[in-house]
Amino acid sequence: MMVRHTMLFLGYELRTLLRNPVWPLFGIMQPVLYLLFFAPLLRSTVPGGKMTDVLAMFTPGSMMMIALFGSMFAGFGLINETRNGVLERLAVSQAWRPAIIIGRLLKDVIVLILQAILVIGIAALMGLRIGLPEMILVLLLMAATGLFAASLSYGLALTLRDENGMSQVVQFFAMPLTLIAGLFLPVSLGPEWLQTIAKFNPLYYAVEAGRSLFRGDLSAGTIPVAFALFVVLTALTLTWSVRSLRTLAG
Amino acid sequence: MIIEAHDLRKTFVAKQGRGKKEKVEAVRGIDLEVEAGEVFAVLGPNGAGKTTTVRMLATFTAPTSGTAYVAGYNVAKEPAKVREKIGYVSQAGGIDEIAPGIESLLLAARLSGMSRKQAQARADELLAAFSLTEIANRPAKTLSGGQKRRFAIAVGLVTAPPLIFLDEPTTGLDPQNRANLWDEVRKLREQGTSVLLTTHYLDEADALCDRLVIVDQGKIVAAGTPEGLKKEIAGDVVTLRVEGTEAARDLLAAQPYISEVHAEDDVLRAYLDDGEHGLPRMLRTLEEHSLSIQSISLDRATLDDVFLKHTGRSLRDAA
Repeated sequence: MMVRHTMLFLGYELRTLLRNPVWPLFGIMQPVLYLLFFAPLLRSTVPGGKMTDVLAMFTPGSMMMIALFGSMFAGFGLINETRNGVLERLAVSQAWRPAIIIGRLLKDVIVLILQAILVIGIAALMGLRIGLPEMILVLLLMAATGLFAASLSYGLALTLRDENGMSQVVQFFAMPLTLIAGLFLPVSLGPEWLQTIAKFNPLYYAVEAGRSLFRGDLSAGTIPVAFALFVVLTALTLTWSVRSLRTLAG
Repeated sequence: MIIEAHDLRKTFVAKQGRGKKEKVEAVRGIDLEVEAGEVFAVLGPNGAGKTTTVRMLATFTAPTSGTAYVAGYNVAKEPAKVREKIGYVSQAGGIDEIAPGIESLLLAARLSGMSRKQAQARADELLAAFSLTEIANRPAKTLSGGQKRRFAIAVGLVTAPPLIFLDEPTTGLDPQNRANLWDEVRKLREQGTSVLLTTHYLDEADALCDRLVIVDQGKIVAAGTPEGLKKEIAGDVVTLRVEGTEAARDLLAAQPYISEVHAEDDVLRAYLDDGEHGLPRMLRTLEEHSLSIQSISLDRATLDDVFLKHTGRSLRDAA
């Protein structure tokens, strides 16, 4: 029943998406624009100034950007459903409750991976080279990051139940998290104190692991750390968001 | 007995800002007994605790105290069993606005365990029954309030449950759609489905239900059949405005053929069993005492008069 219900909710969400398939395309505009117009500016920061190296450094950051920003807003749709009675109805139906959230999460991840493939494709056109195993790992890493960010977003949505409050909170967290993760430029270029703070930011490991993978360095220590972190964090935020479903009734 | 509730209570803790908390007793001891096959109404003004009561019976909200059995299962201890036996249509409806209505219907059917084929067959059946077939594939946000409400009820009925809860099913509907919805509820009764509905419309409770409770401030103030409740207070009511309300009230209350007189602001309501014969006598009495009448009307007593008797307020004012 657990798998069946999860698949039913996933199917429902995907059908909704397919009726309006253009929205996720807007989501990738931001990273694509960064790749096109910002990455070339970074040539002076890379020894040798080769575009291939710039892309290997910058693409993981722009991918994490969609993983984080795209998914952090995933919960917005759910706020409306706390008011229009959809969640109320599902809560007293025979549905396995976690499936309500997990079905959506899986949809978010599928969209995210498709977006990521598009971004990698564009970077490849610009000169990026990456091996297949590395690419699969990068996509998995993005999926893990997206799962965490989306389940955090669902938890926030169900707890706050207020669009205004939610957008403030998301902005409040997203901005420092991305800056301190070295999304655009590696923090190793910065002063020591910045590098120290970055070590407390889970996103930093995801970005660094992504960079290692794009360089073809599968043995980097940040890769297992990033995966472990996001699996644990996702488990926590998912539990929280499913619990928050229960508090709907007050 | 499809519903048996005893001393149900619900207290919410409401935040009042700056860390202050206030306890709100939404439901303060409600007893209910609903027979299988009955249409049962919970009538009361907004904020009386109707929705909270229904939510507790439908396993959405856990009661603070008290017990309730729905279809033979304890709502607090066996919610999963209860959910197999009920349909629940909330005040908000719960239809996904973005998707076509049929999607909500099919998902609800599949979640209850039906195969794709069974779900499609059941959906088609309900679409036809509620005249929704033609608009099944339109996004729900493009539908009218009445159409959305019909979809919501169809979704509630997808498992053909023996009991369905309808929370304020006609609020916000125009008279035509209200009348149509009443017909749907009557059809449900004919098919043997038990219905518990909440409403703040007197005529709705009067027209639809077999039995009802009137609730106010979280408590039941009266229970019975619509006829029985109205009989308790006398059959007719004369509403009048007189110069010298006080004097007129005392005078009318002393008349043997008048069973009760209520004064609300400058309006008097006199209850009597035989209005047709009582009215001329009242006119004569008031004339004899030189109390000049500004307006007067004779009506059948309604459930509002029952509410007025038990709470001292009119339901129209309370709602």
